[in-house]
Amino acid sequence: MKITIPHMGNVYIAAKILFDSLGIDYVIPPPNNKEALMLGSKYSPEEICLPFKLMIGNYIAGIEKGADTVLLVSSCGPCRFGEYAGLQAKILRQLGYNIEFIVIDPVKSTGFREFFNRIGKVGAESKKNNISRLNSIFTAYTAMSLMDEIEMMAHELAGYEKNKGECRRLLSSCKKDVFSSNDPANALRILRSYRNKLKHLSTDSKRNPLKVAIMGEIYTVIDPFPNLHIEDLLMKAGVSTYRKLTPSWWVRDTLLKPLGLNSRHLLEASNEFLPHYIGGHARECIGEAVLASRNKLDGAIQIFPMGCMPEIVSKSILPAISRKKNLPVLSLVVDEMTGEAGYMTRIEAFLDLLERRRENVRVGN
Amino acid sequence: MRVGIPKGLLYCKYHPFFKTFFGELGADIVTSGDTNKNIMDMGVKSCVDEACLPIKIYHGHVCSIIDKCDYLVIPRIMSVRRHEYICPKFCGLPEMINHSIQGLPEITFEPLYMQNDSQIYKWCLSAGSVVTGRKSKIKEAFELALKAQKRHSTGINIPGENLTVMLAGHPYIIYDGFLNMGIVKKLRSRKIGIITEEFASKSILESQINKLTKRPFWTFQRNLYGAAAAFYHQQIINGIIYLSSFACGIDSVIVELIRFRVGEFPLLVLKLDEHTGEAGVDTRIEAFIDMLERRSFHENHHTPYGKRLYSSENPV
Repeated sequence: MKITIPHMGNVYIAAKILFDSLGIDYVIPPPNNKEALMLGSKYSPEEICLPFKLMIGNYIAGIEKGADTVLLVSSCGPCRFGEYAGLQAKILRQLGYNIEFIVIDPVKSTGFREFFNRIGKVGAESKKNNISRLNSIFTAYTAMSLMDEIEMMAHELAGYEKNKGECRRLLSSCKKDVFSSNDPANALRILRSYRNKLKHLSTDSKRNPLKVAIMGEIYTVIDPFPNLHIEDLLMKAGVSTYRKLTPSWWVRDTLLKPLGLNSRHLLEASNEFLPHYIGGHARECIGEAVLASRNKLDGAIQIFPMGCMPEIVSKSILPAISRKKNLPVLSLVVDEMTGEAGYMTRIEAFLDLLERRRENVRVGN
Repeated sequence: MRVGIPKGLLYCKYHPFFKTFFGELGADIVTSGDTNKNIMDMGVKSCVDEACLPIKIYHGHVCSIIDKCDYLVIPRIMSVRRHEYICPKFCGLPEMINHSIQGLPEITFEPLYMQNDSQIYKWCLSAGSVVTGRKSKIKEAFELALKAQKRHSTGINIPGENLTVMLAGHPYIIYDGFLNMGIVKKLRSRKIGIITEEFASKSILESQINKLTKRPFWTFQRNLYGAAAAFYHQQIINGIIYLSSFACGIDSVIVELIRFRVGEFPLLVLKLDEHTGEAGVDTRIEAFIDMLERRSFHENHHTPYGKRLYSSENPV
């Protein structure tokens, strides 16, 4: 069995560490790119959302490198994500790929036995004993949290750094270094050293950069390809960005949901505008917008794939938050036909607007 | 007190309930008119751009009665079956309306679960308390409303001369003659039989659903996919016409599932949005019917490779 996984931002780093330490054979498909998008849009239903299409592209790339099993985490509504696995399996089979899908559904809908049965299918490949298996899961989760922490620090510090571009350089070399290491313990060491470097980054505390929240549909905010590397772009522009949705947040949220302890502050903030769970991460998006205004950020950017049902609801609520809380919000809808020039123009115009609101237009930087 | 009920979305299925309930409470019922160009335009103007056409039209219905009522019923229908949802947009409907339309009267926010009577009653208690303070009156009205709802049924089942198609789509598209551009009339004028999901046999529908890899979590998916698969399995239809609104997230999945299930079987998907031109729809329906006729009456008796395609005299 050779496992492949679809991409979502830096999840592949944690997945690699997990498979490495479990001793399971795997293929990590190349990061999301034009080719994955092209293949995905060719074989996917026309109106399905962008993540579905990119994932199809990832699978095909993985299969061509020898994978025979797809591992996918799923949900049970009301957003379309829950239907991904079934449709994707059918599409791949129609394309002539003989491939097994291991779908990890929430325990609530499959029951414990089926849940552990599916996890067992993956675990059966590993020669390790139960304790070291648990240990590998813990290592992978630690790596995921570390990576998220590094990303978060880099995104924030980009507005304060003394040597321009240092955060970007550190972030990209961190990803490269950790991915090239096949030893989980070493990978953790690399991550920790980069976190240290960022902690001791020479910063200029007198600067007062623009602060922008990035929110919206989880896949399109976490993965840089569908949002045309917006965070990288903002780092380049010397803007500090803040994003609450990360892979490790998702893991914690999913685990704590049955107990009702998940992301309390976000849900509490969303109560004024959207007090009910409507699927996807619409409530989180509303909560983030409210928190952004509480934390005195300059603006917020919402990103979601075309046709995303929960985010359409939040987009209709955001203008009200914008009016009441005095927070500029830019909504960007992305799909396989997003044109780069128009997209960049809108972001630049939004940043200009934020700067003018502070009544000090800086020309150049 | 004047209670406004917009004539959009699931009004077509549940209007006896809402009308009877608020009528029995002693309120004057104000409903919006049938969908027309004016209502659609108002909806498109006030609604968020990315929403689907039925949601936009619902906004238009709300706009058209906004100054004629003191209380607006915007049911947040979360679920009508256990473990199933309607659509994320339904779950956030009152918020969408509340934040997109200015000058609203008081509206209902309480979520409405319709899995059993006690859940519906809970909604009635909250929604009815604005009209009357007497609990006994609400209880009475609720029971009458349930009875009225039970007497009401929807569905089209008109046998045709030779051909029958399944008209599939969300109820608010099938039963809104403006939105679907009078497709029922168009099909009837060609003497095509029509059958809708409501007439699928429950047991066959269940057995078709059970073949899916995952239990459906949308009620529309269960009904539409199940019915299409059941009709196809029973061989009582000659084709499927699926009316879908542009950017409908649920339909993007259902249509694909049906396509996988029926394979080469004739399936016409008509996407509707506020720009849809009627001529294009007419042409596609005509072409589809022509194809069904050829397929059913001519090509079955002749090999397409043979002398001619028609069983009648070749004019050339």
